[in-house]
Amino acid sequence: MKNMKPVWRGLLWLLIGGVVGYALGLGLDALVGGNPDFVAPLGGLFALLGAAVSFFSGLVGYRGITRGLVFQVIGTLVGGFLITGIRALMGLPTFGGFFFSEPAWVFGSLVGALSFLAGVGALTDWFKWAKGEETSDHHSDPEGFVKYFGVSLDHKVIGIQYTITSLVVLGVGGLFAMIFRTELASSQLQFLTTTFKAFDQNGLQFYNTLMSLHGMLMIVSILLGIAGMMNYLVPLLIGADDMAFPRLNAFSFWIAVPAAVLLLSALFLGGFDTGWTGYPPLSTRSPVGIQMFFLGVFIAGWSSILGALNLLVTVVRMRAKGMTAFRMPIFVWAAIATSIISLTATQLIGLSFQMVMFQRLFGLGFFDAARGGNPVLFQHLFWFYSHPAVYVFILPGLGIISELLPPFVRKPLFGYKWIAMSSLGIALVGFLVWAHHMFTSGMNEYLRVPFMYSTLLVAVPTGVKFFSWVGTLWKGKITTPTPMLFVLGGIVVFLLGGLTGPPNATVSTDLHLHDTYWVVGHFHDTMFGGYIFPFFAALYYWFPKATGRRMNEKLGKLHFWLMTPSFFVLTLGMMRIGLLGMRRRIADYDPQLGFDGTHLILTIAGYLIFISVLIFLYNLFNSMKNGEKAEGNLWKSRSPEWLVPSPMPAHNYDQPFEVVGEPYDYGLAGSKYVQFAASKEKDESVAGKTKKAKS
Amino acid sequence: MAHTNKASALNLGVTIFIFLAVLTALEFFVAIAISAISLLAVIALVKAGLVLYYYMHIYKLNAEKEGDAKSYAYKTGSNRLGLWLFLLSDAFVFAGLLVSRFNLLGFTRPHLNQTLGLVVTAVLLISSFFMNRAETSMAHGDQKGFMTGILITIGLGIGFLVGVVGVEWRLAAAEGVTASGDAAGAIFYMMTGMHAFHVLTGVIFLLVVFNNGRKGLYTQEKHWAVEASTVYWHFVDVVWIFFYPALYLIGALVG
Repeated sequence: MKNMKPVWRGLLWLLIGGVVGYALGLGLDALVGGNPDFVAPLGGLFALLGAAVSFFSGLVGYRGITRGLVFQVIGTLVGGFLITGIRALMGLPTFGGFFFSEPAWVFGSLVGALSFLAGVGALTDWFKWAKGEETSDHHSDPEGFVKYFGVSLDHKVIGIQYTITSLVVLGVGGLFAMIFRTELASSQLQFLTTTFKAFDQNGLQFYNTLMSLHGMLMIVSILLGIAGMMNYLVPLLIGADDMAFPRLNAFSFWIAVPAAVLLLSALFLGGFDTGWTGYPPLSTRSPVGIQMFFLGVFIAGWSSILGALNLLVTVVRMRAKGMTAFRMPIFVWAAIATSIISLTATQLIGLSFQMVMFQRLFGLGFFDAARGGNPVLFQHLFWFYSHPAVYVFILPGLGIISELLPPFVRKPLFGYKWIAMSSLGIALVGFLVWAHHMFTSGMNEYLRVPFMYSTLLVAVPTGVKFFSWVGTLWKGKITTPTPMLFVLGGIVVFLLGGLTGPPNATVSTDLHLHDTYWVVGHFHDTMFGGYIFPFFAALYYWFPKATGRRMNEKLGKLHFWLMTPSFFVLTLGMMRIGLLGMRRRIADYDPQLGFDGTHLILTIAGYLIFISVLIFLYNLFNSMKNGEKAEGNLWKSRSPEWLVPSPMPAHNYDQPFEVVGEPYDYGLAGSKYVQFAASKEKDESVAGKTKKAKS
Repeated sequence: MAHTNKASALNLGVTIFIFLAVLTALEFFVAIAISAISLLAVIALVKAGLVLYYYMHIYKLNAEKEGDAKSYAYKTGSNRLGLWLFLLSDAFVFAGLLVSRFNLLGFTRPHLNQTLGLVVTAVLLISSFFMNRAETSMAHGDQKGFMTGILITIGLGIGFLVGVVGVEWRLAAAEGVTASGDAAGAIFYMMTGMHAFHVLTGVIFLLVVFNNGRKGLYTQEKHWAVEASTVYWHFVDVVWIFFYPALYLIGALVG
């Protein structure tokens, strides 16, 4: 077994661990329920955890993430039994439908998440600080792929960890979409008629859980993806050797892993049927799964908040010499704008979810109208984050589009300052638009018109971006390797998403469109155009920087040409049936409505997108080992990270650089963006150093 | 602050404390005598401004660049910005709770013990004064003054926790403001609970700093942890400056 490849060993252990975990879960279930039920949900949950632990254990041994997951399982059990014991002493019912009672699950999960962090080693240095011990700032990671499975303080490693985790979550969320998309292929219920005893849910509940989890898993995936891009790129773009707080950076990443585990565990604990929004009063009556959902989102939110904090400090304090505000790369501006939102607004979704959790646990009556509570309050708190959140998702992507256009058209970026300011503009206006989700919710009617106008105002800074992109493309020497294809695809798809927005923002039309597939189509357009396409572009573009190899162009183009037309079919079809009266979030529809055919086409398009992403994943992992070597400045970029060889050296730039010109002056003779200290005259650099020391 | 001597730092601390105490008393009597909500809001903002400037030294964010990027002073500058961004983020939680309070209760308030409210507010205010003493002592190299100040602060902080969670919660429940009762009870326990949680973390932070101070790890030049715990402690005080009138003073009594 020692001679096996780690991946195969991991998969073998996965099988064994899954079976062992399943047996363990069944045993626990039988302990309380008394009847050995061979498809019990607890068995499923433990099978999942056991499989994950064993997989990582086979892959990298008992360290890093393996240890974290073991700690999480133990911590959850300890916390759960603690509360169960206290409840027994207080004379309350000790065990619930899923072994533990609901408070025991919540507290246990919280302890489990913290135990994960302790187990993985993300807290070690902080405990040392608390005891007054010094820690080394110099990070040394183990050689090879093992370093990606444990705590590393290197922003490049963390960026890749984020990105890979994001892709895994994206895959799971996509798989869920495939399952319910299959059910929707024609009217009537097909395979969701059975009861899924492994999840303790009937077919319709299972549909609701998958649909809700699809939403939140994709959101978490996007948050991880943008964090991956920002972590990897921003320090390189501004010439810093790392983020401002490397330990906080590692913490922000690792806290997202137990959050993802909690989100998935909701599937086994009865699921939940509220959609990703979790509105009370429905969410106060859902099964215990919704508590796992709330807790998972809450913890993932902290990942987002602390990552944003770190990024803002990094940009403010650690830029290279000469990099004034308007000489920063445009992606950095986008990262700032997005971080301002995640730093502040995220707290309110956390608060709103906490309030529902407490209402369920302690009977606090925030959202219970019978006791003077107000369910609409939840929607205000929730959307105060969750609308700006979509700008969190798209701003980095739009930044990527602006960042990648100039090198592929060999022209300066049109209206640099306007683009920089438009990102901030979108972020700030984004704080004032949340109630447009609530036009039909029964909030005060006088709020409708102001929120309609503030929402329409978002079109202005977004329009600025489109003008700039068109202006940049105009008369450029356009080449279309894969990253550029995705940039262009992103622009077109986002345009479609943008144009379908104002009908939702306008009260008179929204009253008709609210909760239909029109909104679903619009939303997927903005997410694909604003995030998925640019994210793929960024992966194809910077993959050589991270690995020293490039991804296969043919497969990349296949990925693009399979995904883009399918995607247009998917969202335009969604909008069509939405206008014809298809409600969102439902498992079945009336054949009399006459869009069975469209639904079938949508399902086929969905499958094609899924296949194209599989092609991408194959390409990504295959190219890491077998890709064509690309160690130089592959895209003839002016950006500093491309002026040093790939893969990026462990401590970034050996020689600091100074910014001496405008970032995007492509095609202008003699213009220069950065100058490395080494390329200067020797005596000049010595003189510079003494000058620096004096000041 | 760097140019002031120890005596003038003490004077400043005392002066600001007197201002805050007078404003708190004024607040209390305004609420009793005339129901002027806008006046209460102004007083709270003035108090918060005084604490932000004189106790939390917000102006330090704007300090000149401190040496090269690897120096302790420069890193402290980055840490300071990080801490303030964290507080900004945290402030959104408390702002969300305030908004929820006004959404649910409007201009009414739950039936609470006024004397106890004033006492715990005074305890927290006095703790802020001693926290300021501890920090300025350290900034002037006075280890002993620092240790005394931080110890008193920890004591007062625990006193506040006992006052709110141990006494006030019981009294409120006896008055009919219960957690599982109406929305007024819910928001009261949520707001005081969230604030008490922050006081608790602040006390833990101070205990860690106290312990490391006992080991002599902080010097006049290098004491970022002291500054951080101070700023955090004052932030928790600023939150209470808004929560106290919102829960105890504003609006007509119901229930």
